[in-house]
Amino acid sequence: MLKIDCRMVEKILTAFIKDSVLKNGFRNAIVGVSGGLDSAVVLALCKKALGAAHAFALILPYRASDPDSLRHGKMACRKFRVPFEVIDISPSVDAYFERFPTESRLQVGNKCARERMAVLYDHSARQQALVAGTSNKSELLIGYSTQFGDSACAFQPIGDLYKTQVFELARHLGVPAEIVAKKPSADLWPGQTDEGEIGIAYKDLDVLLHLMVDMRWDEGEIIERGFKLPLIRRVRRMIVNSQFKRTMPPVAKLHARTIGIDFRYLRDWNK
Amino acid sequence: MKVRAVQFGPALGDVGKNLEFHAAQVARAVKDKRELIVFPELSLSGYQLKDLAAEVALRPGGREWRQLEKLSRAIDIIAGAPLEEEPGILRNAAVYFSRGQARHVHRKAQLPNYGMFEEGMVFKPGDGFHAFRIGPFSAGILICREILFPMLAYLYFLQKTDLLIGISNSPQRGIGRDGISSFQLWETMGYVFSQFYQQNYLFVNRVGFEDGIGFGGGSFFARAGRGIVQKAAYVDEDILDAEVRAADVRRARIASSYLRDDQPALVLKEMRRILHA
Repeated sequence: MLKIDCRMVEKILTAFIKDSVLKNGFRNAIVGVSGGLDSAVVLALCKKALGAAHAFALILPYRASDPDSLRHGKMACRKFRVPFEVIDISPSVDAYFERFPTESRLQVGNKCARERMAVLYDHSARQQALVAGTSNKSELLIGYSTQFGDSACAFQPIGDLYKTQVFELARHLGVPAEIVAKKPSADLWPGQTDEGEIGIAYKDLDVLLHLMVDMRWDEGEIIERGFKLPLIRRVRRMIVNSQFKRTMPPVAKLHARTIGIDFRYLRDWNK
Repeated sequence: MKVRAVQFGPALGDVGKNLEFHAAQVARAVKDKRELIVFPELSLSGYQLKDLAAEVALRPGGREWRQLEKLSRAIDIIAGAPLEEEPGILRNAAVYFSRGQARHVHRKAQLPNYGMFEEGMVFKPGDGFHAFRIGPFSAGILICREILFPMLAYLYFLQKTDLLIGISNSPQRGIGRDGISSFQLWETMGYVFSQFYQQNYLFVNRVGFEDGIGFGGGSFFARAGRGIVQKAAYVDEDILDAEVRAADVRRARIASSYLRDDQPALVLKEMRRILHA
């Protein structure tokens, strides 16, 4: 159901990356490489779209990160021959929590995601490179991301591909098998896996999301397809409750034309 | 007649830059001895205009209009633009310039207004499908979604056109194992127009991206009675040159007598009955 023509997807996404970078007056893209699948795919696409001289990677480990993440991050960069730098975010993250201690690993995870964003954007300016997003459609839809953290970027090449489709594209692009084979994880704390935290395997979640979002099937039709009602309702709640992450914050309307409401221009205005 | 389709991505709202591009392509086409050059839908402005539409509209007799007329002294031109013929009323139009003058305007009647499309918020629909002359040919223009309503091409078939020109801003969408499903829409209609309306048919689609929406290209030429015979690249900029021949229309009409056997009066009678039932 979710199979894709990877050659066509690669053609469209590399054209999109090139267009996004060049029309904004840049020549370079920078990718935060986590050691996982999504960033490896985006790295490969950026390299293909812009060439080796115009794609950069930052690997941004925290002291609690799985050592495999760093190893896989380097592996992806070496495989696609993209220059990279490793920047340990532990000193800045730990300095913050020394002042404001917490027991919440979610807060630490979010802080790490936002610290990585801050480093990426600083290096975006240093390298004159636009930040390429690495979010996929599955996580964007259920809100499995940190607002202003890993979701922050200039453009989203794989934001309309479900996670299972990113797997397919990764194999097509030659992402190292070890990276493709490992369980997806945001690596926010030891042993974390996406599927464990979300509570559903991507292969099921993606079909469910596809039926709900792209095909607009109603609950009855989806149940007939084999999904249980509580799961359908739970995923629907995740989509609804994370809508704030997918939209700009609302502006209180006072004037005749209001930003975000009826001041209607594309981001690509005059580009 | 030697025709050229220019498959490119206009800069959104930058009419000056787009007009410069048109002029450069016209010069190139003249050098290559083409007789008609066709640009995609809204080629002077880009597609998702929203509030930009009124700011960038083409006005008959205005500076850009006069420049296009001037360019058409050397070659016939079809370009797309938001057109403001009456103050404050915009239409999504294709304008045919020839021998130094605008000779024909087609105003899009089928304005998509659903999902990612909001043309109905911007434009007033057109209300006619008039055949016009391009050199020795009788021609008709369809704009994007009009192509997908075969009864609109039928109106040109009834006027015995030899050449249909479809200009489009079709977003690529519907990825699956067999590629992009939206490409098939346009090619299916190309087959229909060529085989059953026995038209030479030039389809000119744009490429490029506007806020993530990518336009798929895949412009093509379908020869009367023979289906698609030439195709431009998907996704990438491209130029497609074709030769339109009246003999192909005649040959197709002899091979399959759809035009001779067509019964428009019967269609009209039945439409009246159905509409007034």
